[in-house]
Amino acid sequence: MFDRDLWAEIFNSIKKNKLRTFLTGFSVAWGIFILVLLLASVNGMKNGFVSEFNDDATNSIFIFPSVTTLPYAGFEAGRRIKFTNDDLEYIQGNFSEDIEYITPRFNKNVTAKYKKETGTYQVRAVLPDHKLIEKTIVTSGRYLNANDVNKKLKVVVIGKKIKEDLFPDEDPLEKTLILNNSTFNIIGTYTDEGNDREERYLYIPVTTMQRLYSNTDKINQIILTYNPKYNLTQAMAFSDMLEEVMKRRHRVDPDDQGAIRLNNYAEQFSNVNNFTMMLTAISVFVGLLILIAGIIGIGNILVFIIKERTKEIGIRKAIGAKPSQIINLVILESVFITTISGIGGMLFAMALVKLVGKGIQSPAFSNPQVKLQTVIIATTILVVAGILAGLIPAIKAARVKPIEALNAD
Amino acid sequence: MIKIVDLHKSYPIGKKDFLHVLKGINLHIKEGEFVSIMGSSGSGKSTLLNIVGLLDGHDKGDYFLNGQKIEKLNETKAAVLRNKFLGFVFQSFNLISYKTALENVALPLYYQGVARKERQKIALEYLDKVGLKDWAKHLPNELSGGQKQRVAIARALVTKPKVILADEPTGALDSTTTDSVMELLKEINNEGMTVFVITHEEEVAEQTKRIVRLKDGRIISDELTSEL
Repeated sequence: MFDRDLWAEIFNSIKKNKLRTFLTGFSVAWGIFILVLLLASVNGMKNGFVSEFNDDATNSIFIFPSVTTLPYAGFEAGRRIKFTNDDLEYIQGNFSEDIEYITPRFNKNVTAKYKKETGTYQVRAVLPDHKLIEKTIVTSGRYLNANDVNKKLKVVVIGKKIKEDLFPDEDPLEKTLILNNSTFNIIGTYTDEGNDREERYLYIPVTTMQRLYSNTDKINQIILTYNPKYNLTQAMAFSDMLEEVMKRRHRVDPDDQGAIRLNNYAEQFSNVNNFTMMLTAISVFVGLLILIAGIIGIGNILVFIIKERTKEIGIRKAIGAKPSQIINLVILESVFITTISGIGGMLFAMALVKLVGKGIQSPAFSNPQVKLQTVIIATTILVVAGILAGLIPAIKAARVKPIEALNAD
Repeated sequence: MIKIVDLHKSYPIGKKDFLHVLKGINLHIKEGEFVSIMGSSGSGKSTLLNIVGLLDGHDKGDYFLNGQKIEKLNETKAAVLRNKFLGFVFQSFNLISYKTALENVALPLYYQGVARKERQKIALEYLDKVGLKDWAKHLPNELSGGQKQRVAIARALVTKPKVILADEPTGALDSTTTDSVMELLKEINNEGMTVFVITHEEEVAEQTKRIVRLKDGRIISDELTSEL
C-alpha cells in the first residue's frame, strides 16, 4: 500500500484528470460541509433552549399554598391554606435524604430609601440556600449566611437593577438602606441570569422579616431542590410524595388540585429535554440521509470513473497488471481524493461555524458547535462507505476479460 | 512456442444461440517464426489472437504456450504469463492517453516490479530502438499514427517477451508508415523473437515468413512465403 511507485501512479492519474478529481472531491466535501452545518445548527438550537431554562436550578420544586377547592374533613371549600415554619421544618426533618437545598420565601413589597432616592421593590425573605436554588450570582460583598439568620440581623443583598436605581454613582456596600421604617445594612450585590425582574429583588433573612412582622411564623412558599442524583422517575415520585404529605398536614382532599400547588421543574425540564432529544433524533436522521446521499454520490462517481477507465484497465491488464493491482490503483486513488476533500470540507464547515457562530446570540439559537469526534466519525463513514460503493465496480472491472475491457469505449 | 490442437471457441448470441467462431484450429508456431494470419473479417483471426494472447479463454481443445498447458487460468495467473511471455501491438495502439511515450513504454516494467530509475532507462533504450527517443516526453495525442504504433511496439518489446502479438498493427496507418512498422517487426524477428501478426492486407502478409489463411473458423492454407 505504501509502495512509492503505486502512489506515483496515483498522483499521476489525479494530476492528469483534474475534472474527475474535482467532481469526486467536491461531492465528498459538500456532503461533509452540509452535515457539519446541520449538526451545528441543531446544537445551536438546543443550546438556545437549554440556556432559556438556565435561570434556576433544574432540579427545583416550588410549593405554594392556595385556596381549597373541595370540602374535606369537615371544612368547607374556599379555605385558605397557610404555610408556617413548621411545614419547612417538617420537610427538612422527614426528607433530608431527598433534599439538596431548601428555603422558604416570604415576600413583601417595600419602599426602599437611600438618601434622596426611593423605589418600591419586593423583598424576598429567605434562607442562605436560596442563592444556590435561584443561581444568584454575588457580584460584590456576600450573600446571606447562617449567622444572619440565627441572629435575625437586618442585612440585605440588593440586585443589580436596585443598585443602578438607588446607587448610580456609589458603592452600595456597607451603606444603610431604609426598608419601610427599618434600617438595613447592605452586605452584597448580585446579578441573575434570568430576566431583569430577577435583579429587582431585595434578599433579607427570613427570620429578620418574621420578627419585623410581629414575630409571625408565616411563610409564602417553600422552594427546594431534590437530590441531584435522582432521575426523572425518582424526582416525580418524590414530588408526588411531598404533595401527598403536605395535603395531609393541611387537611386537604387528596383530589384537591388547587389547595397546594407543586411546581416541579423536573417536569418542565424533561419537556425541554424531550424536545431537544427529538431535535437530536431528527438531526441524526437527516444527517444519516445526507450521509447516504453522499455515499451514493461517491459510489456513482466511482462507477462512472471506472467505466471511463475500462479501456485503460484493459490496456494495463494486457501488459501484465494483476486484478489486485488494478483494484489497488482505482480504490487508493478514490481513498486519497475522498479523504483529503472530506477533511477539507470538514475544516471549512467548522471554521464557518466558529466564525458565524460567535455573531449569533438569540434566545432560540446560541453557540452553534459540533463535536470534532462526531465530524471525524461522519467523515470516516462517508469515506469508507464511498470506497465500499466503489469497490464493487472496481472488482468487477478488474475481473472482466481484458479483451472485453479493451473493446469497451 | 505456441501449440494449438483442435481449438474451438464460440460466443453466445442472445440467450440460446451461439456463434461458433473457431471450429477446430490446429497450429504450431516455433520459436523465432514470423507468422501472419490472413482472413476476411469474421474469419476468426482476431479471436485466435485473443486466445493466444490470453486475453480471452477457449472452449475446447488444447493450447500450450512455451510448453505450458493453458487451462483454467485465473486473471492473476494470466496477467503474470502475459507480462512474462507476450507483447501486444494493437490496431488502435491502446496507449494510455494521459501518460507520456516514455511512461507508456515503462508501464509493463512497473508491473514486473522493476525499480523506477531502471524502468526509465530501459524504456528510453527501447524508444531509441524505434527511433522516438526525442519524443519521450510527448503525450500520445502529440504523436502521429505511425509514431504511436512505434511507441506501442516499444512497449511490447520492453519486457523482452517470447512472442509479439500484433492485431492489424498497420490497419490504421498509411502505406509509408505501414512499411516502416513492418520493417521494425522484421527487424525484431531477425533478432530471434517470435512475431505473430494478424492482417487482412496481402502486402503485409507477404512480408512475413509464413502465412496461415483462415476462413469461417478453419485453417484453409498454411504455407511459407518466398521471403524465406
